[in-house]
Amino acid sequence: MLTDRITPSALGTKALLGFASLILLGVVAAMPARADIKIGFQVPLTGPAATDGKSAQIAGEMAIEDINAAGGVLGQKLQLVTYDDQAKSDQAIFTANKLIGEDGVKLVVNGSYSASGRAAAPVFQKAGVVMIAAYGVHPDITRAGDYMFRLVHLGPPQGAATALYIGKMLGLKKISTITMDNDYGQATMDGFLEAAPKYGIEVLNKYSYSLKDRQFGSIVASVKRDNPDGVYATGYFFTGGPLVAQLRAAGITVPIVGSQAFDSEKFIEIAGPAAEGTYIIDSFDRDRKDEALQKFFTGFKERAGYAPEGVAAITYSAVKLMADGIKRANSAEPDKVRDALAATKDFPLLEGSMNGFNGLHEMIMPIHVNEIKDGKFKPAGEVGDLNAFAPPEK
Amino acid sequence: MYYIDLAVTGVSFGCMYAMMSVGLTLVYGLLRILHVAHAAVFALGAYATVLAANATGSIALGFVAALTVTPLFGMAIYRLLYEPLLSYRPDVPMIASVGLLVLMQDAFRIVFGEQGVTFRRNAFSFTTFDVAGVTISAVQIAIVVTAAIVFLGLHLFTTRTRIGVGWRATVSKPRIAASFGIDPIKVRYLNFAIGSALAAVAGGLVALLNNLVDPAIGFVVSYKALAIIVLGGLGSVRGTLLASLVLGLVEAYGTIFIGAWLDRDAIAFLALIILLMIRPQGFTGARAA
Repeated sequence: MLTDRITPSALGTKALLGFASLILLGVVAAMPARADIKIGFQVPLTGPAATDGKSAQIAGEMAIEDINAAGGVLGQKLQLVTYDDQAKSDQAIFTANKLIGEDGVKLVVNGSYSASGRAAAPVFQKAGVVMIAAYGVHPDITRAGDYMFRLVHLGPPQGAATALYIGKMLGLKKISTITMDNDYGQATMDGFLEAAPKYGIEVLNKYSYSLKDRQFGSIVASVKRDNPDGVYATGYFFTGGPLVAQLRAAGITVPIVGSQAFDSEKFIEIAGPAAEGTYIIDSFDRDRKDEALQKFFTGFKERAGYAPEGVAAITYSAVKLMADGIKRANSAEPDKVRDALAATKDFPLLEGSMNGFNGLHEMIMPIHVNEIKDGKFKPAGEVGDLNAFAPPEK
Repeated sequence: MYYIDLAVTGVSFGCMYAMMSVGLTLVYGLLRILHVAHAAVFALGAYATVLAANATGSIALGFVAALTVTPLFGMAIYRLLYEPLLSYRPDVPMIASVGLLVLMQDAFRIVFGEQGVTFRRNAFSFTTFDVAGVTISAVQIAIVVTAAIVFLGLHLFTTRTRIGVGWRATVSKPRIAASFGIDPIKVRYLNFAIGSALAAVAGGLVALLNNLVDPAIGFVVSYKALAIIVLGGLGSVRGTLLASLVLGLVEAYGTIFIGAWLDRDAIAFLALIILLMIRPQGFTGARAA
């Protein structure tokens, strides 16, 4: 009999060997499952929002590379699962379902516009997937539920901070307003108009334009007639650039204050010398002595061929925050990551340190203002009175 | 002075629209095709102007480049896209045209970047003249003067030259024109070349005005120009000119009176709907029937 010849000790060694090889096998087999934590990533790579989408994509990839180069999170690498949502609701829902069903993703960064984030939010919420909206500003995104987070100031708080900045810090009282008539432009302007009386601001006239418009002849002529102390305009850099150029060309020399999405080097390129003296609210401080920011700046410029704007910076920070959430949760389980994110305190974004999230998971952070001087973004103060522009709690 | 400022704005809008849309109406008049891809020709003209101007340092050479590239492109559209489809119903070439526009928009985005291109040196955008309290920018003057020259030239060409008269004849009575020895195919190429060149000039001027050419630049043209040629009475150059000016002025003044509620495009289309309800055949109605 074979077993008869095996001594008890030999049996023990054999069993041990067998056990060890079993463990080895198990480890090898388990490796692919343990390898990567997948982060779903929705960005608009085609269509009219592709400008921002491209920036967001590059920034997101850079964040992942930086995290992985530093050893990943919880000993695992992060992996980005990217889908083009065209900044459209239907594509956002379609890709959200794909991320959940096909890719089995539990954590998502939405690097897209409101239309996408707003549509995707309920889908992810229902599936118990954590989503950070990097720069989607529609209020409905965080209202979808407790798995949703937002890393950008909502339109109305941004507008309220703008009123404080214009009325109190710049001391301008007679203002003409120019609104871009999409969600973002209108919500921001509404916040401004509501807060304006508190700071003694008189709104002389209100004008609006469409996102597609680049010619503002009549608005310019009217602002000239208004003869205001200052002009406040909401819009994107590609509408703001031509708008500011045309206002200045008509001999309007008063300060022009633009909303956050003016924030792009391209704005200065388009408006040229006319950009001088334009203030941009919630624009990010590029000169900040911060190693991570300066490294991101050069790295992004190298890859993209142009300097990063706010969208790129915040998308990068969103991916970094997600990784930090996983680390603090000590798990990639969405429930635990959600709780860790909700407890975020003084997290360093590229734009500066964020205080945390409120009950609705809206970001709380002072608002930085830049002024264009000598063709460059220069710091022009900070609106730090957090109560003056507190985000909604529900 | 304010209302004169607005009039200047309106007339310059109008002149721009006229140059954008005339190619569209010419193609419709001749072939009964809604040449939606004309917007892509316009965008190509804008890109060519900026890129050539930046490469050579001369805005004039930018326009020369645009005027070289776009007529060829326009004729290529006819030869490669429309001619093979002429035997089908008119909506078939139209759908092909829409396809080309979408394709071109994404091609611009991929080739020239999402962020768009701007003139490296563009003194025009920032130069203005103050004439008795009315502010007129250099680009506005350029737009109005160019449009005047273009339409006068077009008028002289179609009334005073043999080839121009032949062109007109082919548009109104193709068979009779052909029997007089006019080659209808040549007329078609001529048609696309001239229409495309005008769109390119408009594109270059809009580029100067905005100091920005982005992939979406043709988009506004694609629907507004369609509205204009309908209002002008499809196929009529004079009607297109008139409709363009009316629309430009309506936009300029409308933005002021109802601009807090409706943007410029919305006002334009509201006006269009009202005008078409009053005059369904357009300004120069005979042709629409």
